[in-house]
Amino acid sequence: MAHAVISCLHANLAALEAVLADIDQQGIDTITCLGDLVGYGPQPNEVVNLVRERQIPTCQGCWDEDIIEGLNACDCSYPSQLAERRGQLAHQWTADQLSEENRAFLASLPMSLWRDRQLFVHGSPNSQHEYLLPDMDAFAALERVESAGAETLFCGHTHRPYVRELRDGSIRVRVRQTPGEPAGVAEAEDRELRLPLRRIINAGSVGEPRHGNTHATYVIHHEDTNAVEIREVPYDVERTCRAIVDAGLPPIFAWRLRHGFEYAERADDASHVCER
Amino acid sequence: MSQTLLISGPPGCGKTTWILNRIQSHSGPCGFLRLAGYPDEGLLQARDGGIDLAWLQDQCPGLLDLAEPDQALAPRPANLLALIELPQFQPPTDSGLAGVDRRVIPQLEALHLSPDEHLHFGRDHLLPRQDTLDFSSLQALERNLAGSVWDPASLSSFWFELVNGAYGDVYRAKALMNLPDGRAFFCNWMVSREGSQFLPLQTTASPDGRPQRLSRLVVQGKDLDPAAIEVTLADCLLSDALLELEQARLRQQEAPSHPSPAA
Amino acid sequence: MARWALISGLRGDLEAYEAIQTDLRHTRRVDTLFVLGDVIGPERECNALLERLQQPRRGDLQPHCLYGWWEEQLLAERGYRGGRRADALRLSQGEAAVDALLQAVDPAHMNWLAALQFGFIELDCALLHGSSAAVDDSLGPDSSPLLLLDRLTRMDVNRLFTARSGQQFRLELSGGGIGSQVRDLEGQRQHQQSVPQRQVIGIGAGVHYTIYDPGSDRLDFFIAGTKPKQRARGFA
Repeated sequence: MAHAVISCLHANLAALEAVLADIDQQGIDTITCLGDLVGYGPQPNEVVNLVRERQIPTCQGCWDEDIIEGLNACDCSYPSQLAERRGQLAHQWTADQLSEENRAFLASLPMSLWRDRQLFVHGSPNSQHEYLLPDMDAFAALERVESAGAETLFCGHTHRPYVRELRDGSIRVRVRQTPGEPAGVAEAEDRELRLPLRRIINAGSVGEPRHGNTHATYVIHHEDTNAVEIREVPYDVERTCRAIVDAGLPPIFAWRLRHGFEYAERADDASHVCER
Repeated sequence: MSQTLLISGPPGCGKTTWILNRIQSHSGPCGFLRLAGYPDEGLLQARDGGIDLAWLQDQCPGLLDLAEPDQALAPRPANLLALIELPQFQPPTDSGLAGVDRRVIPQLEALHLSPDEHLHFGRDHLLPRQDTLDFSSLQALERNLAGSVWDPASLSSFWFELVNGAYGDVYRAKALMNLPDGRAFFCNWMVSREGSQFLPLQTTASPDGRPQRLSRLVVQGKDLDPAAIEVTLADCLLSDALLELEQARLRQQEAPSHPSPAA
Repeated sequence: MARWALISGLRGDLEAYEAIQTDLRHTRRVDTLFVLGDVIGPERECNALLERLQQPRRGDLQPHCLYGWWEEQLLAERGYRGGRRADALRLSQGEAAVDALLQAVDPAHMNWLAALQFGFIELDCALLHGSSAAVDDSLGPDSSPLLLLDRLTRMDVNRLFTARSGQQFRLELSGGGIGSQVRDLEGQRQHQQSVPQRQVIGIGAGVHYTIYDPGSDRLDFFIAGTKPKQRARGFA
């Protein structure tokens, strides 16, 4: 059986429609969504409505949480003052647009979903705001999966899809402690922990791709073979760009989306000296 | 023996960089003058506002400003290399000194300058050619940023958007920009080049309030959108309160026993 | 070279604190005293110890204090942690324990308690009550090495000193590794990572305390007021 996982829709209706059509075309009817239904994009109600209509099991993202909590900014650290101001503007606009019913829906979303030993979260099992980047410390990555008691962890939030396998791990420790009182002989004991094989699968982003081009991304997990497919889906970017401008959102959002740059990128250091 | 060179060429062809190299390889005194240039049909000259002179004087302490009337009257030092920069879109019709745009001559005479040689980018093989573009029509946009200080990461984002076309089709952008730690950067971009230059000025201000030096953005291109640039600038420049917060942090880091290294 | 004394879990016991100060004054050549939280508790009146920590006597080593699990409970119950209350205490030990804790500490000490920090970073060492994850994170010699490695990695330190479990132990990550394979839209890459040589140290509680010499990495566990067997106590 195949199972599609989507994340980070960011109120981009054209992208969501294209991804759902791609999933439907393959005859897949199990879909899980990892949150961030809204934020930056021009169609928050339309996107939430579609997720509700399709009854897609969804966990809550950091934007969904912030919209209902009434925060002025997503905790996901903004890389610059410019990104923060734009994020706040997007937050305010989205909060004004969102219907009460859809706000209640976002508030009802769980932090995580389970299917057998597969765990579905937005950021990490610890927090909706934690980024599990593909190259983060392998032990720390494994700890996130293992401490949660999962075999496979599905996450989003980074907007870059990847599949990471952590294998053949072991940690040897030497423990010394003082038995009894007063402080007695420090006996050394050597132990080895064999670490299990675990996987982290990042679903990328439907509505705000950050992988170098404008295509929406999501993943398909083929449960019979355990294979994971990273899907790229072209969609009508211009339709969303027009909607951004028509909605009165900053035209720079449309420009960034059109060029495959995320709305708030991690900026290069301006003090970097590039000698030409 | 003294020499006076007139260097002309279209925007972004590398006049100032070439001049900087000449100054740095000249053992004697040097002087610099930047003429404003004249608009051609549909082609606007950007007002440089002193960016080139400020950058060159920062890099070459002692560089004489030949636009100073006092300089014009003073006796010229021996072995002076005088370099005159003239933005000029079209190549001269005549070769050599005969090709000098006649409109600049009264200004040069008033400053007691008489070129021995005229070199034009795209015509004279002594000069590099790779950045000399043919412009059909060009807009210019200047923004005085005196006293402005950037959030560094925001400057990086803005510059990225600017040179990648978010605010119109930019051919050339250059600027002097202030950072909260007292450093200033000469930011330089040309459509024919990959990547931007961000070159730190030698002279730094103390991280204490707004610096009193030249800061300016000059952009040339087509379909420029000054209003959109203004919106972004407002989100990038630091308010008094944020500037003070950031500078207080920097001052605290600079404990006397541990001079904080430049980030 | 500086030597550190690390103590925790006094829970209002001024006598234990005085016994440690006496030990340190007489024998240990220590110049910095770190108190890793739990200076208060519900068992006894804590005000005398709190006063002593804030106003050391002549001859006392100046204490550098953190807040621990018990301070966190009291601070929460007294409204210093937003909407949270002493829920963890209430759940584990009942309402009576919450009342006893409130009784044990004079409200005049709340400002001092509220100003305490979560942790210290000294050289390449993190000094914490629980761990980098939370103040209630109880790390012991039997904790999963994967979890311990994560806690070290989060702080990016080579030594993590913890007090929450109350145990005295030194756990050294001595070897091992892990393979990682990442596939994304750019392709596939492999990476092999080794276990870094890092340690987690449990400093004990009450009269059980620890001396650490960061210069030589020597660690000794002591019990205040007792004479340790010379040959037995230390290991570098």
